[in-house]
Amino acid sequence: MSAAFWVWFGIAIYIAVGLAIAIMARRQLGAGMSEFFLANRKVGGFVSALTYSATTYSAFMMIGLAGLTYFSGVGALGFELTYLCGMFMMVFFLPRFWLVGKKYGYVSPMELLSDRYQSKGVGATTAILALVFLVPYGAVQLMGVGYLMNGISQGVIPVVAGIIIAVVCAIAWSSIAGLRSVAWTDAFQALIMIVVSAAVLGVVVAALGGFSSFFGKLESAVPGLLTVPTAKGAWNINMFVGLALPWLFFLISNPQVSQRLFIPKSVTAMKQMLGGFLIFGFIYTLISVLWGFSATLLVPGLENADKATPTLLALPIIPMGLAIIVMIGITAAAISTIDSILLTLSSVWARDIHKGLINPKVSEAGELRVGQWVIPIMAIIAFVFAWWAAGKTGLAFMLAPLSSAASAGLLMAVPTIFGAFFWKRATATGAIVSCIVGAIVVLLFQVTGWKPLGWWPGVWGFIVCVILFIGVSLATKPPKEKAEEFIGYLREALAKGNFI
Amino acid sequence: MSKFAWAWTWFVFLLVLNIAIPWFVLTHVEKMSGAFLFWVVWVAVAIISAFVIFLKWREVER
Repeated sequence: MSAAFWVWFGIAIYIAVGLAIAIMARRQLGAGMSEFFLANRKVGGFVSALTYSATTYSAFMMIGLAGLTYFSGVGALGFELTYLCGMFMMVFFLPRFWLVGKKYGYVSPMELLSDRYQSKGVGATTAILALVFLVPYGAVQLMGVGYLMNGISQGVIPVVAGIIIAVVCAIAWSSIAGLRSVAWTDAFQALIMIVVSAAVLGVVVAALGGFSSFFGKLESAVPGLLTVPTAKGAWNINMFVGLALPWLFFLISNPQVSQRLFIPKSVTAMKQMLGGFLIFGFIYTLISVLWGFSATLLVPGLENADKATPTLLALPIIPMGLAIIVMIGITAAAISTIDSILLTLSSVWARDIHKGLINPKVSEAGELRVGQWVIPIMAIIAFVFAWWAAGKTGLAFMLAPLSSAASAGLLMAVPTIFGAFFWKRATATGAIVSCIVGAIVVLLFQVTGWKPLGWWPGVWGFIVCVILFIGVSLATKPPKEKAEEFIGYLREALAKGNFI
Repeated sequence: MSKFAWAWTWFVFLLVLNIAIPWFVLTHVEKMSGAFLFWVVWVAVAIISAFVIFLKWREVER
């Protein structure tokens, strides 16, 4: 049997199990927006932790981060762990999102902002920001699956076939039962991701003579990759801050993850979600980076670093069966992220753009129908982007920088989110102006490749955004009554739960 | 200083270390015991800090 046959066989099993889980989840599906997009805010701690993990960690990790490590060394670890350190901010944001979500019935993070700032324009602006910048991020997942299947099948399966499979699965998982099918399939996929990646790393490290020998070989073969900046100039401070800044605020800037903060059924579930995710993230990050380092020893000299994982998996030291299972694990990671993105974008479109701007009188059933239609449309747009970008090479088209570039645009909503929770003087005009101008700066700098003083687009965009948010807010009139009520409610509720 | 302020200060301190140690202290250490080990320990400290705070959360009546 050829490698391509086993790849197809593995994909068929994965799709069958995923479909079965999604259909089972549909049996519990009730009516309404909150039910479809948030599973009625009744998700337990274990599933919450796994769906948060699977949504956050994607093809980016075992392909993009591993490729970045292969290409540029230990700075990739610092970059990714900066994100995990940023999760410390969950001690502030998780209870706040959760409490106001329950009290006011928010379905999307943008709806929260609309209400807090008493402006549909804020919700629409941040919604458009998400729609524009999450498409490349979603496309990155698709590209990852395409590269992987192409690599493991030794070129028999075209990249575009992998992309199509990922698109179809993501549409199915998110359409069948909304968040219920996404969360359940995410939980299944997260377990596959962590178990198989640990197993394959174990095989590779054993082939390299164990951890001690592996580390020794790294120190003698590629010492320059173990420090920052590297001898080749990668990971100077500008590059690190440029990539890591969007990652630091990922937990609130990316609506597909911040929407997850509405779903735990209790405080205990919240604690399990956060604790479970932190442990998962720590282990998965180390596995991905060590995997990238092992590739530098075993398959040196690749032109496209994103091909490091597929190339490594195709080596004879890895049994074909294990390689196929790993491929499924990484495919699962990608699809579990893109289905969440599709689900979130559809809720954002239905609630914040369709109901918020186009048709305020739409019924809840009508709103839900619109959301369900948006899922395949967004998927097709991401597919087209992935198809276009998959043929390109260079740092800008590597999975990790492309992901971070997308998050750089989403970063522009961060001052608005901080203002909503912590600054009564923040205004809708400040939020709208800062998001729009910041995003334009990011896009402009990314398209032109301009990096004044060596700083990356996200950094400049963020500086402009923060200044404008504060300046314009001070010059305009805040929604004083709502701000008092919103922040006042949180103050009391936070004290009751011993939150900080 | 309130717990809220302490937590933010601690977080900012961790972020400062994130740049200061790898780029200014360990920049010539080309070993796994250099930046690699630092970042692993550093994030473990951040994670433990989060656990210390959120394990004190208690159920609220809704």
